[in-house]
Amino acid sequence: MKNRLYTVFFALLLFILMAFPAFAASDMPRLVDEAGLLTSSEERELLDKLNEISERQQVDVVIVTANSLEGASAMDYADDFYDENDYGFGYERDGILFLISMEERDWYMSTSGFGITAFTDAGLEFLSEKILNDLSKGDYAQAFTTFAEMSDDYIAQAKTGKPYDEHHLPKDPFRLLFYLVAALVIGFVISLIVTGIMRSKLKSVHGQTAAGNYIKNGSMKLTTRNDLFLYRHVTRREKPKQQNTSRSGSTHRSGGSTTHRSSSGRRHGGRGGKF
Amino acid sequence: MATIQEYKCPCCGGAIAFDSTIQKMKCPYCDTEFDMETLAGYDSELQNDQKDDMQWQTASGGEWQDGEANGLRSYVCQSCGGEIACDENTAATSCPFCGNPVIMMGQVSGALKPDYVIPFQLDKKAAKEALKKHYEGKRLLPKVFKDENHIDEIKGIYVPFWLFDASADVKMRYKATKARTWSDSRYVYTETSYFSVSRGGNLGFEKIPVDASVKMPDDLMDSLEPFDFSKAEKFQTAYLAGYLADKYDVDAQESAKRANDRIRKSSQEAFDATVTGYATVTKENSSIQLKNRKVHYALLPVWILNTTWNGKNYLFAMNGQTGKMVGDLPLDKTAYKKWLFGLTGAIGGVLYAILCLFYLL
Repeated sequence: MKNRLYTVFFALLLFILMAFPAFAASDMPRLVDEAGLLTSSEERELLDKLNEISERQQVDVVIVTANSLEGASAMDYADDFYDENDYGFGYERDGILFLISMEERDWYMSTSGFGITAFTDAGLEFLSEKILNDLSKGDYAQAFTTFAEMSDDYIAQAKTGKPYDEHHLPKDPFRLLFYLVAALVIGFVISLIVTGIMRSKLKSVHGQTAAGNYIKNGSMKLTTRNDLFLYRHVTRREKPKQQNTSRSGSTHRSGGSTTHRSSSGRRHGGRGGKF
Repeated sequence: MATIQEYKCPCCGGAIAFDSTIQKMKCPYCDTEFDMETLAGYDSELQNDQKDDMQWQTASGGEWQDGEANGLRSYVCQSCGGEIACDENTAATSCPFCGNPVIMMGQVSGALKPDYVIPFQLDKKAAKEALKKHYEGKRLLPKVFKDENHIDEIKGIYVPFWLFDASADVKMRYKATKARTWSDSRYVYTETSYFSVSRGGNLGFEKIPVDASVKMPDDLMDSLEPFDFSKAEKFQTAYLAGYLADKYDVDAQESAKRANDRIRKSSQEAFDATVTGYATVTKENSSIQLKNRKVHYALLPVWILNTTWNGKNYLFAMNGQTGKMVGDLPLDKTAYKKWLFGLTGAIGGVLYAILCLFYLL
């Protein structure tokens, strides 16, 4: 009887353990503000947002601020933080973690599972460009909010089977406004030229300043033709150095995500830098 | 004080005038046509005939001379006896009473005799047609201007011009540079070579026309160019019959300044063009000596059309030989704004649509 109870209990436990990864396994909140960069109201608001997005998309969106990485690289710290705290939905541990460390002024975005699919290298580059400015200015709440909202968009896009990637980056609403202004300015310049031509048709009175029409045909004779060399001088300037930045290299990427193994052996994608 | 000339038809006695369509004198009453050559002889005889009248007219002219009417002259019409008062420069007009064409011989004979005349090739009707055409294809011309268009005055005038002939000896000096660049593994080298370039030669100019009438705006007359001087005739007063004509009131010395400017510019341009193969060319010195200077006096045919709109006077001129029509037209400001902003909207819209299409793809 007792043995049977144990069997049932273990079967139940096994069932629960197997079923568990379908839900967020972590006890840690999705916002860990160790460095204390946010006010409590900002924190609450942001956490609500992260929770809402994560639950709805079934992909964890996590933000971590640290005072110091304690000697670890930003990538390792972020990967380990993710793995050790059991973030991520499902077997693949779908999710993304955004880490910033104040002492090193490092940031890193670590992706896992479906996060690797949704956040491609090009997508991460675009995403980080959008928030780095706010980060550098110290407007952390704004940067995190942007990160959360854009992540939401990235995940939604990836679920359509076509994640943001090289040649297929998110639309910038400002781009459209810029286009409109540019189109109008170009249109105005063109119409200024066109109406200028129309205006010039009204004017047909022009004084003559030359007498080219009255030169006798073939009357021009060139009697002196002297090209005297005076002197020369040579200047030299150094050739500009070949620029070899990661940016110019990255434009030749064919898209997709590059991945690495974390210390726990899990596969992660990501991107990091300084702010 | 001065004689005037009327050409009477030897056939019926009516006053005859030059007909531009047949390039002959024609009597409007009996349709008899006369060659210009025939009239050349007839012309001189008629001048002799007038000698007697001269004394009689001097007396009446004298009164004018003392009076307030400066710059006015009066003549007596030989057909009707009416008094023709006109500008001191007038050389040909028509009698305000009987409409007969008259020519003031004193204004076109002796020292004032023009060397050439280009006879009118186009008549009043052609001038009116040309004005209508002048209005066409101009979208910014106020519609009202076109619709309400009525020509206040249209007159065929022989405008006095000075024609300048000269050959120019030109000496020019330039500073010019050539540049060459090459590079090795570390540096880019630029070698600049400096040259002193001189050019000399001569250049002939023929019959540069300069408006010799104060009344006619210079730029308007300039715009009528070119005239075809191969069709110019030796001057005969008979050509003036039926048209208005003025004698010059800007002397050749004064007009030469404008001709010189034009000669200088064209000579320099012609020689500038011979300096080739350099990266930069700067003019350092230029000197132009004019040789074989000759000035001719010519009467050139111009149709002048006058119209008033919104209290402003618009002056048009047509080359009486080639039919070239010139004259500035008023701008319809509301139409201009409509076009400007309409086009901006249309072009901007199309561009925006194209950009959006690219953006979405």
